[in-house]
Amino acid sequence: MEEQPGFPEFVQQQAGKLLEQTLQHIGLTFISLLIAVIIGLPLGILITRRKKLAGIVLGIAGVLQTIPSIALLGFMIPLLGIGAKPAIVALFLYALLPIIRNTYTGILQVDPTVIDAATGMGMSKKQLLYQVQLPLAMPVLLAGIRTATVINVGVATLAAYIAAGGLGEFIFGGIALNNSNMILAGAIPSALLAIIFDWGIARLQKLRMRKVKTALYLLPFLLVILSSFYLLPAAYGTSLVAGFTPEFMGRKDGSLGLKQVYGLDMRTVVISDMIMYKAAYEKTLDVISGSTTDGRVKAFGLQALEDDKHIFPPYYAAPIARQETLDKYPELEPVLNKLSGIINDSIMTELNYRVDYQKQDPATVASAFLKAKGLLQTARHGTKGTIVIGAKMFGDGYVLANIYKLLVDGYTDLEAVTKTGLGGTKIAFEALTNGQIDLYPEYSGTGLLVILQANKAVVDTLISDKQKVYDYVSREFMQRYRIKWLPPVGFNNTYALMMRRQQAADLHITTITDLKEYLQHH
Amino acid sequence: MIKLEHVNKSFHNGKLAVRDVSFEVNTGETLILLGTSGSGKTTTLRMINRLIAPDSGEIHVNGERVNAQQIESLRRNIGYVLQDNGLFPHYTVAENIGIVPTLLKWDKKRIEERTRSLMDKLHLSAADHYHVYPQQLSGGQQQRVGLARALAADPPVLLMDEPFGALDPVTRASVRKEFRTLDEISNKTVIMVTHDVQEAFELGDRICLMDNGAVQQTGTPAELLFQPANDFVSSFFHEQRFLLELNALRLADIRPWLHTSVPAENYSPVLRGDNSCWDALEQLTTLSAPVTISFEDALIRLDTSELMHAFTQYKQTVS
Repeated sequence: MEEQPGFPEFVQQQAGKLLEQTLQHIGLTFISLLIAVIIGLPLGILITRRKKLAGIVLGIAGVLQTIPSIALLGFMIPLLGIGAKPAIVALFLYALLPIIRNTYTGILQVDPTVIDAATGMGMSKKQLLYQVQLPLAMPVLLAGIRTATVINVGVATLAAYIAAGGLGEFIFGGIALNNSNMILAGAIPSALLAIIFDWGIARLQKLRMRKVKTALYLLPFLLVILSSFYLLPAAYGTSLVAGFTPEFMGRKDGSLGLKQVYGLDMRTVVISDMIMYKAAYEKTLDVISGSTTDGRVKAFGLQALEDDKHIFPPYYAAPIARQETLDKYPELEPVLNKLSGIINDSIMTELNYRVDYQKQDPATVASAFLKAKGLLQTARHGTKGTIVIGAKMFGDGYVLANIYKLLVDGYTDLEAVTKTGLGGTKIAFEALTNGQIDLYPEYSGTGLLVILQANKAVVDTLISDKQKVYDYVSREFMQRYRIKWLPPVGFNNTYALMMRRQQAADLHITTITDLKEYLQHH
Repeated sequence: MIKLEHVNKSFHNGKLAVRDVSFEVNTGETLILLGTSGSGKTTTLRMINRLIAPDSGEIHVNGERVNAQQIESLRRNIGYVLQDNGLFPHYTVAENIGIVPTLLKWDKKRIEERTRSLMDKLHLSAADHYHVYPQQLSGGQQQRVGLARALAADPPVLLMDEPFGALDPVTRASVRKEFRTLDEISNKTVIMVTHDVQEAFELGDRICLMDNGAVQQTGTPAELLFQPANDFVSSFFHEQRFLLELNALRLADIRPWLHTSVPAENYSPVLRGDNSCWDALEQLTTLSAPVTISFEDALIRLDTSELMHAFTQYKQTVS
């Protein structure tokens, strides 16, 4: 990754936030580790005595370990909501296996002759455990805690997806905003934390037998101290809670704009786009940063607040493609343009609703849509070449990518493959410039603010007119990257603050200014 | 005193490991459980300190049924020495020796005094070894520490499971000799498991020969050699019989066939009546001259042929 200039400046500017996130990160890691030790250690000891249980307990802990971390966090939300609780529980479950397994094997690998001698000399079970088994199992046991710590430092970055804070906020915000400094500001400290804790516990392991006792007393003490870090920040709050995506948090037309233009200051957590709508529906969040065409807006009965001071620019959605590819396959461009102007806001919302809420396959939705428009043609299974169509990891992208695939397959001798689920603007755009994908749907506003990172003066002159924005990015993209903006698809996808329809009505909030007024008085 | 009555033990596979074993060991006596591997001797030993529970039969230690005694206090009053020493690798030599006294809540000063005196008796320099970990010691030294640990709380009973089995022959002989001359064990009831016949004859007051889980014969070394209870017993010692017989027979035993008495003022005795015939033979071959032996009733001077003659006479009378 190229080092962008100004990383030290970025860190300096964000020092407060960095410290807060780092403390949260350490706290999350160690609260869960502490609980895992409190539960895993006795469980590990128990299964050395009841061997029949060993298979079951280790089996369950092993299965938990194999659940992908983001999925495990997802499972926790219906049970525990969002925030620290589900994150701690998920991290705890991850830390459990190495601790139970190493306690178990640590105790079992103690020389049986030593156990025999200890028993034969008249040690009780308790004395045997504390004076012989645990001290001799200590290096293996500590290795388990060490593994668990390193796993937890890593997995804790994902806690940012469910509003639990930590260094993941910078990492995911940075990915979404194409901001390398921000990614590094999250990634470097979390890597350092992993290295430091790994080293620290390795030191403990190497202590002479004599000092192991001291280490034993020191460890729980340290765990508690480090755990308490989590409680330090987040001591302020308002009556309503907002959940914003990492991307929205750092955008000029996002959280920053809300503060500057509206003076909106509310308790905000960072949360993944994937669970944000549901969290609003389930009343764990009151205000979210939605996107207007998202199917879940309809599904969860949410209402967009009017942007009465116009900070969210309208975004044209349009496919952007490598000029190189378009030159190579001249038949491609007209095919892609068949969609131009066809999908308006309500159609897009409807399509997204079917995918997001009715859980229909994006490919099925795409083919039904084209059929209805009379645009569907059977695939020709062409062999002339392969076009890779990318999409970012949310609603619009999945459906659009599939529609383009069907068009290319049906109207040309090219074969299209989709590569959906690219983590954010940065990832999608870099895949495009590197030639890993040939085209993907993008928004004009995102191109302006996130990719081109146009300066304030330029933005101010353009932002109110969506055509000007489109023209500007078309020109700049071609010049800088040889990437072409094709004609817009038709709909505008813009950010909006959203609330539950019912709550907005109860509180008489229809505009963002209303929201700000309400917060000032409550 | 230790007493076993009709003790049986079978393992999970249903095989009888110990069948109907009975014997008695008097206070101050050393009994050797001798047999090949799998003969049930170690299982028998481990039932005495309740590391294994018998299926049936009674075991008494110091006049009380072991099952009636609180298990930890029973074990703390029985010294236990293992073949692979079982020293705690995370304890220093001194801490290892002090384990049982600590369990018995002796005060620190008393433990330290006891530890130092035992180390001294077992030729482990306290200055060099007190704070050292077992891994830093030689095999012979480790076994001495194991012995010191078993003796630390001065238990009346000592159980030893092949205590010298893991040592090389030279170290083994020297540790064994030390053990034999140790005043600490002279008043203790000792049961030692071994498969080494030489060792059994050297250390045992009596030997309990086991095979296939059952006792074949219990008796003094001479009884086992000269009055074997069955074919197994006689064939067990077949290979080293002559050597063992010389070892087992004391000079006092062959006194009736020794006649050459000499005046006390002219000769100073080299051996006594409770020395073995082997000792006498050793002296005769090294000195290449007759040796003088002091018996209770007279001083006797004998040469090799007289010794062998008396030895043969004895064997004829007992068989």
